[in-house]
Formats: sequence, C-alpha cells, structure tokens
Amino acid sequence: MTAALPAFEPTTSVDEVGELLAHALADDVDLAFEQVVRTYQDRIVSVAARSLGDRQRAEEVAQDVFVRAYRALVTYDRPRIRKLRLRSWLYAITLNLIRNAVRGKRLRTVGLERDDGSPRPIADPKPTPEAQAEARVEWQLVGGAIAKLSPKLRDAFVLRYVEELSYDEIADALSQPVGTVKANAHRGLMNVRAFLEEQS
Amino acid sequence: MTEQLRRSLDAYRENTQCTASPEFASETLDRLGLADRYTTLESTIGPVYVAWNPRGVSAVRQADDAEDFERWFRKRFARRALPATSTPQIVDDVRRALAGEDVQLSIDLRDCTPFEAAVLRKAQEIPSGHARPYAWVARELNNPRAVRAVGNALANNPVPLLIPCHRVVRSDYTSGEYVFGPAAKDALLEHEGLHMHEIEALAKRGVRYIGLPDDNCFCLPSCGGDLIERLDAHEKHVELHSVDEALAMGLEPCATCRPIAA
Repeated sequence: MTAALPAFEPTTSVDEVGELLAHALADDVDLAFEQVVRTYQDRIVSVAARSLGDRQRAEEVAQDVFVRAYRALVTYDRPRIRKLRLRSWLYAITLNLIRNAVRGKRLRTVGLERDDGSPRPIADPKPTPEAQAEARVEWQLVGGAIAKLSPKLRDAFVLRYVEELSYDEIADALSQPVGTVKANAHRGLMNVRAFLEEQS
Repeated sequence: MTEQLRRSLDAYRENTQCTASPEFASETLDRLGLADRYTTLESTIGPVYVAWNPRGVSAVRQADDAEDFERWFRKRFARRALPATSTPQIVDDVRRALAGEDVQLSIDLRDCTPFEAAVLRKAQEIPSGHARPYAWVARELNNPRAVRAVGNALANNPVPLLIPCHRVVRSDYTSGEYVFGPAAKDALLEHEGLHMHEIEALAKRGVRYIGLPDDNCFCLPSCGGDLIERLDAHEKHVELHSVDEALAMGLEPCATCRPIAA
C-alpha cells in the first residue's frame, strides 16, 4: 500500500467475547445461542438500520441474520464452530441480507432524513453534549457520503470506520485479502472526506 | 480536517447507534424454538405453571391464569415465556419429579448469584422426608453467619418444589417463609412424611438432637420422618440439648443429617 493512511485509526476492539462464545457454541449450540443474540443484537440492528434507514426493517433483517446463523451452526461440526470468528461471520451474513433487502431499491442510507428533511430517528434518543453540536450537522452528511460510495468501497469503509473492526476481521467478513480491504477502506475514507469538503 | 472527519464519524456512529427492542431476543429465539415455553402441571399443592428452555427448567410458579404467569415471568427474568405448543421430554420429567419420583432435571439457574446457586444446590441434597434448619445450610456452605442470606436465596428459588426449598426450616422447626405460603410448606413436609408438629414440640422443650445409642449416633430431630416414628415406637433413644451432651455419651454425628460441622 503506497497511499498514505489517514492520521487517525479507529480503536479496534478484539472480539474476545466472540472466542468464548464460539467455544460455548461448539459445546452446545442451543444452550449458547441466546447469549450470541444478546451479545451482538445491538450491533447488528445498528448496522442494518444505518443501511436501511428504517428501524423496523432493520430489526427484521437482524432477526433473519440470527436465524440464518443458527441454522448454519447446527450443520457445522465442533472444530469448525470453535474456529469461527463469530463477529466477522455475523457481519458477513448481515451484509448479505442487507444487500438482499435493498436489491432493486435505492439504498436508503441517504434517507436518514424524513421527507420534510428532518433527521430520521433511527437511533435511540440520547442527550447530545454541546461539544458535539458542531459535528451534528456533519454526521448527517456522513450518511449521504457513505451512500455515494460504490458497494466495494462502502462495505470496507463501513466495517473499518463505522463498525471499527480490525482489517483481519474485515478480510474475513468480506472474503477478501487484507491488502484489498485496506485499500478499499482507505479509498472509501478519501471519498467520504472529499464529499464532506465539497459540502462545507 | 482529519480531526474533524474523526469527529464527524464518531458523531455519525453515535447518532445512528441502535439498541435492539426489548422483544428482539425473545422473538428471535422463539423463531428458532429456543425461547422459554410454559405449561401447567399438577403438583402436591395443586396446579403450577412450569417454564423451560434449552438450559432446563426455568420457573415453577402458582398463578391466577396464563396472563398472570407471563407477567410475573417477564418481570422476574426480563424475557418472555410463551405457551407450549408441544410436549418435550423435559415436561414429562418435571411431571414425574412433581409426583415425587427421583428424576435428574436440568435447571436454569443463570439469574442466580454463585452463592444463591450454591444454596439451592445444597437444598437439592436434602432428601424427601427430611428437613434442615437455615443455619445448617449456612454452616454446610462454610458460611455459618450467612443464615439470612440463605433465607433470601431460598426465597428467590426460581423452581420451588423441584429444588425443595420447603425442606429448609427455622431452627425452632417452625416452617418459616415459603413462596406458596407457610401452610403449604407444612403440608408439603407432612406429605413427605415429616411430623413437623412433633419435631416442633421437641424443639420447644429444648431438645436439639436425638441420640440413638443402639446405632451409636445422634441426629437432628428432622432426620427423616421415620426417626419420630421410631421414637413413638419406644425405640431406645436419648433427648439431647447440646452437642457436648451427645459427644460426652460417645455418640457419633449421623452421616445423613450431619448435625455438626465435619
């Protein structure tokens, strides 16, 4: 990679919980699956809501993600489950199902606004500190910028800079080499930056 | 710009962060047949609602009706229980356990603290026809001061009858608190063959242990219903008021009811 990486990198959390859960799943899928749902439900609903711009549909897609995951797990043998990188695997399923959900329709990430232009409340209401007031205008533009990315760049960008996965995990989730994923995430970032600069 | 971009991304992430609805997990698990299900079964104290999930039996409770039970379940466990649509093996196992059969049951104690779970497992060791004081449980868990905590843990037993918290009584052998009421507790113990009134009368007279010289041992008066029956049949015995008295007579503590710390 010759392109200079941006000065900041997101803090990436290691999915230690996922490792523990994979072991628990290998022992007994039925017993451990509830914990899988409770551990990842907020993440999966969020990533779906960001893409679909619709909280209700996001929950439906997220439910389908867990149903798919469970039905796959019961067909896997124990060593395969134990080696599973749970978080990136769930993201892979989620991205597929989001793709199915938006197929033939305009991607709704743009639609983080209602018809009247006010922001669509997909997130839980929470008090916004004054320090963030300035960024508030811009975050709504970020959604628009992401929607303008090509699918190839968008997936890598979102997983890296919104979901904050490691490049390893992203490569896993997208079934692509780490180098490709790095390049795409970076190009996505440059495009988002350019878009935001244009707007300001 | 870089700093500003980072702030924008952070703001975007935060403002689009969702929390799955409270029903999300229950509904998802239900689609997979992994949610808590419930039915009603007969027991010594009448019909009870019984809930289970893949971990095992999760709740036993008396309730006015299904709605009442569901409301209680949701409040207690912060998840939903649905009416059963089939009768898995575990229901048959619970039915037999409630009828007094010795059945190995999986029980879902995930909401209990380790101490609560230890108390409940200890209560599970008390055989039918026996009772033990709260203080006995505390002592067996090497925590003799935790008598009140033992009481609280038993009061929180999610599966009364299946984990026989009714077999843990006060040191004066009055029955004490019970989720189904003290009268039900007495009735259950009587039903299991324990003569609570006679044991309570002994305790009132200051009798703490029963010495059985022929067996060379001493017992708690609640060591099985047949102990009182043996006394009634005038079997040779000594009423003891303290451990020292028993030890002075050269009697060994009973291995079943373990009247003193090992």
